[in-house]
Amino acid sequence: MPSTDTDSILSLDDVHLELNSDAGPVHILRGIDLKINRGETIGVIGPSGSGKTSLLMVIAGLEPATSGSIIANGHEITGLGEDQLTRFRRDHVGIVFQSFHLVPTMSALENVALPMEFAGHGQAFEKAQHHLNAVGLSERIHHYSGQLSGGEQQRVALARAFATEPKILLADEPTGSLDQETGREIMELLFKLQASVGTTMILVTHAPELARRCGRIIKIADGRVADG
Amino acid sequence: MADLALAWKLAKRELRAEFRGGVQGFRIFLICLFLGVATITAVGSLSHALNGGLAADGAKLLGGNIDLRLLHRPATPEHRTYLKAHSATYSEIIKMRAMARPVDQRDKRAMVELKAVDQAYPLIGTLQTEPARALADLLKMDNEAWGTVVDANLLTRLGLAVGDKVRLGAATYQIRATVLSEPDRVANIFSFGPRFLVSAASLADTKLVQPGSQIRYHHRLTLKPGTDIESWKQDLGDTFPTAGWRVRTPEEAAPGVRRFIERMTLFLSFVGLTVLLVGGLGITGAVKSYLNARIATIATFKCLGASGDLIFKTYMLQVLVLGLVGVSAGLIFGGLAPIGLLQLIGDRLPVQPIIGVFMEPLALAAGFGLLSTITFALWPIAAACEVKPAGLFRARISPIGAQPKRKYRIAMMVGIILLSLLCIWSANDQFFAYWFVGGSAITLLLLRGGAALVMRLAARIPSPDNALWRLAQANLHRPGATTPGIIVSMGLGLSVLVAIALIEGNMSRQISERLPERAPAFFFIDIQPHQVADFDAAVTGVTGTSGYQRVPTLRGRIVKINGTPVEQVKIGHDSHWAIRGDRALTFAAEKNNESKVTKGEWWPANYAGPPIISFDAGLAKGFGVDIGDTLTLNILGREITAEISNLREIDWRSLRFDFAIIFAPGTLEGAPLTHIAAIEADRSIEQAVEKAATDTFPNISAIRVRDALEAAGNLLAGIGAAIKGTAALTIVAGAVVLAGVIASEHQRRVYDSVVFKVLGATRRRILGVYLAEYGLLGLLTGLIAAAIGTLTGWAVIRFLMRAEWIFLGNVITYTLLTCIVVIMAAGLLGTWRALGQKASQHLRND
Repeated sequence: MPSTDTDSILSLDDVHLELNSDAGPVHILRGIDLKINRGETIGVIGPSGSGKTSLLMVIAGLEPATSGSIIANGHEITGLGEDQLTRFRRDHVGIVFQSFHLVPTMSALENVALPMEFAGHGQAFEKAQHHLNAVGLSERIHHYSGQLSGGEQQRVALARAFATEPKILLADEPTGSLDQETGREIMELLFKLQASVGTTMILVTHAPELARRCGRIIKIADGRVADG
Repeated sequence: MADLALAWKLAKRELRAEFRGGVQGFRIFLICLFLGVATITAVGSLSHALNGGLAADGAKLLGGNIDLRLLHRPATPEHRTYLKAHSATYSEIIKMRAMARPVDQRDKRAMVELKAVDQAYPLIGTLQTEPARALADLLKMDNEAWGTVVDANLLTRLGLAVGDKVRLGAATYQIRATVLSEPDRVANIFSFGPRFLVSAASLADTKLVQPGSQIRYHHRLTLKPGTDIESWKQDLGDTFPTAGWRVRTPEEAAPGVRRFIERMTLFLSFVGLTVLLVGGLGITGAVKSYLNARIATIATFKCLGASGDLIFKTYMLQVLVLGLVGVSAGLIFGGLAPIGLLQLIGDRLPVQPIIGVFMEPLALAAGFGLLSTITFALWPIAAACEVKPAGLFRARISPIGAQPKRKYRIAMMVGIILLSLLCIWSANDQFFAYWFVGGSAITLLLLRGGAALVMRLAARIPSPDNALWRLAQANLHRPGATTPGIIVSMGLGLSVLVAIALIEGNMSRQISERLPERAPAFFFIDIQPHQVADFDAAVTGVTGTSGYQRVPTLRGRIVKINGTPVEQVKIGHDSHWAIRGDRALTFAAEKNNESKVTKGEWWPANYAGPPIISFDAGLAKGFGVDIGDTLTLNILGREITAEISNLREIDWRSLRFDFAIIFAPGTLEGAPLTHIAAIEADRSIEQAVEKAATDTFPNISAIRVRDALEAAGNLLAGIGAAIKGTAALTIVAGAVVLAGVIASEHQRRVYDSVVFKVLGATRRRILGVYLAEYGLLGLLTGLIAAAIGTLTGWAVIRFLMRAEWIFLGNVITYTLLTCIVVIMAAGLLGTWRALGQKASQHLRND
């Protein structure tokens, strides 16, 4: 369902997320309304358990919203099946996790080539090598994640997330597992790549100074947009 | 000691939790152990039941405490006097083959196993007949005919009923009853005809007893109480050193059946051991998975000051307790299952089995089970002890990959050696046991080498452009890939099954396809020298016959090799058959065109020197003799020593007349010989040939080769099916281990699937990648197993059975298909569960 607003890349309208737990249903997102324009960088902050990561999951289609509407890059994604969401993600979204989530049995090069292979891009490995060069890992392309430092693993994850030049990049506390200095380097790289690709970025973080580097800050509290 | 007590305390805590959780982490371990131990126990118990039955019924089956058998000739009066004086009871039985024909239907005839008995028969047990009457009454001359008691199937075959008359040689018999049970009859695995029981007094009327006829004279006796059987035999040998009889005691009552049971036991025990070996791999994998899941616990123990030894003891104790559970379950099932089976089929077996629980096979299987548990669990437990606590928290790909300490590696080697020794010690044929142990080791090495080669090739071969196939290929060689686990676990069982299927298939084909092309339609026995000219004319006169051959023959037993009694000579394993009983002998002036002299020279046609022989080259090798050496034969009670003049290569499968020993002219001509003959004929004229041969010559027996081959083929097919059925257990064990291998990497598959989904791979695509990977693995495992199985089968057929090898492509095709289907199905099941996992729960930060 195409959107009418050409500047808006992401639009959330009264999005709710309710998950079942052992103690009964938990209402995590309680009516999120959000509009994000193309090329914008958004810092999402809020206390632990406020629903920041769940918001990213819902936008990525990894967690189906219980109700409401999400239009991403002109596509209504609520109500799509798992495989349709996967294809949507493949074509429009890149994700960076705090825990990197590389495939441990694959080399850095394979990890970066993977999304391009899934998307059917030609010369995936040549392009992957180029992306790894761009994040400063030209000497480590055949290493496995167990042979890389945390910072290096996150660089591979960044190269992988930007490999298909996604329209939307979701980053969930990308420096949360790194020391301060490495974290700073990773953030520099993240913003540099975002700027060069021109992607819209939503960055979830606990650190206000990192959020401040974004063009807009959204504060989430108790499953709602408190400020922004 | 304090260390052990502490280890036991820790082990108990973890075991309690494990049992509460339904031994989830040890299910594969327990199934593997159960399968192996149950198979070994069941095979051993069955063997004990049958051998016990043989031993218990030995005297009954033998027909006395001693059975003395002479060929061609009865005992002398001097012998009889001695035997009667040195026994409590004495009886004489005469056995031969003969042709029976209904008096009223001249076209029908059947070969029968004739048994002529005296008044004392049977010395032990009772003969049961239908109708039940005194044997003497049934067999006596009455109404101008002797009486006979026959197997019921002779009545069916000849369309007769009790009361009808049949001709046997020159005598007429009236069928007065059928045999219900014959105490001294071991159900023959391969019999030439139904029983035809007559009185010894009637035999002269048949005129079948001719000089040189293939008649077996049995002299049976029971011993006086307190007589030592061995010293009795010794005295007999001292009194009549050259009598030439074969002496049998109850232990040797049914050597054919005993050998058959021993062979089957040996073979099925090897299947059981293979199941245990495959299961052993499962034990290693299961213990490794279990410890991988406990890395945090082990790390915590180590951080808190636990030594590597304490950790080793803690987990080895747990494994031993669970091993005892698996072994006990296997012992109970394996001990009880044969009881149920024997109660179902006991009456169809060649011997009446003893039904019960036998300690020896239970102890042996328990020994194998526990030793395997320790040996196969040693490596992963010892490796877990070596993992550094810090590394434990960090490592992800293969948490337990460290090399165990030297002492544990040595302990594992000792375990392997002990298992091998136990296997060799417990086998009833150590020759095969050595081959089994060596073959298993080589097979494992080949499979492991094959897996390494597959991984290396997968890494080296350029990747295809297609992402699905590239990922499938790459998955074969990734760190922590299951390629070795799958290839070895499935490959081992499959190699065994391929080898067995090929050996069985080759043997069946030899009989059903190859031999009949050249095989004669009939063998004729007991042709008297004065009948040869007329007989030749009669059978070759039937239109359509060809390839007629006739040779003189008599039987003799090899008693000495180079002057040393055969019992004291070391004889090659595959040549033992030649000294076990009597061998057919012949003499010839000229060499048969079919034979090939490989060493020495054939004698001149007019040879007239001391006894010389031409000998089978294969047997010469087995006996360790060459030309110039001597063999001593007992022929009709006379010992003849002959020098080996030349060696011949004989193709036993050709079914043409050939003899391991051929005398030069001048030695055997004076003996009471008979002739044997063979003729080729189309099935359509078989009846005419049989009629021509046996109508005019009632003393001559005709053996229908096609019927005999068909019976042998059916028998082989039955045995083959039973063996293949049992061998399929190795595949079951392999599949269980395979399930374990796939389960062990379930978490990794789930994680990979989640990341693939995040990166845009649909479930169908992920499934496609895994199916392609498992399909490739199935194909490669199948190819490796097929290669190893074919090589084994070929070696057994060529070198052990000395037969011609036939490649059976369908066996390979079925192997590949089985392997691909089993591995893909197991992989699919594992993958399906992985695909069903929700991505988000694996991606959140804890």
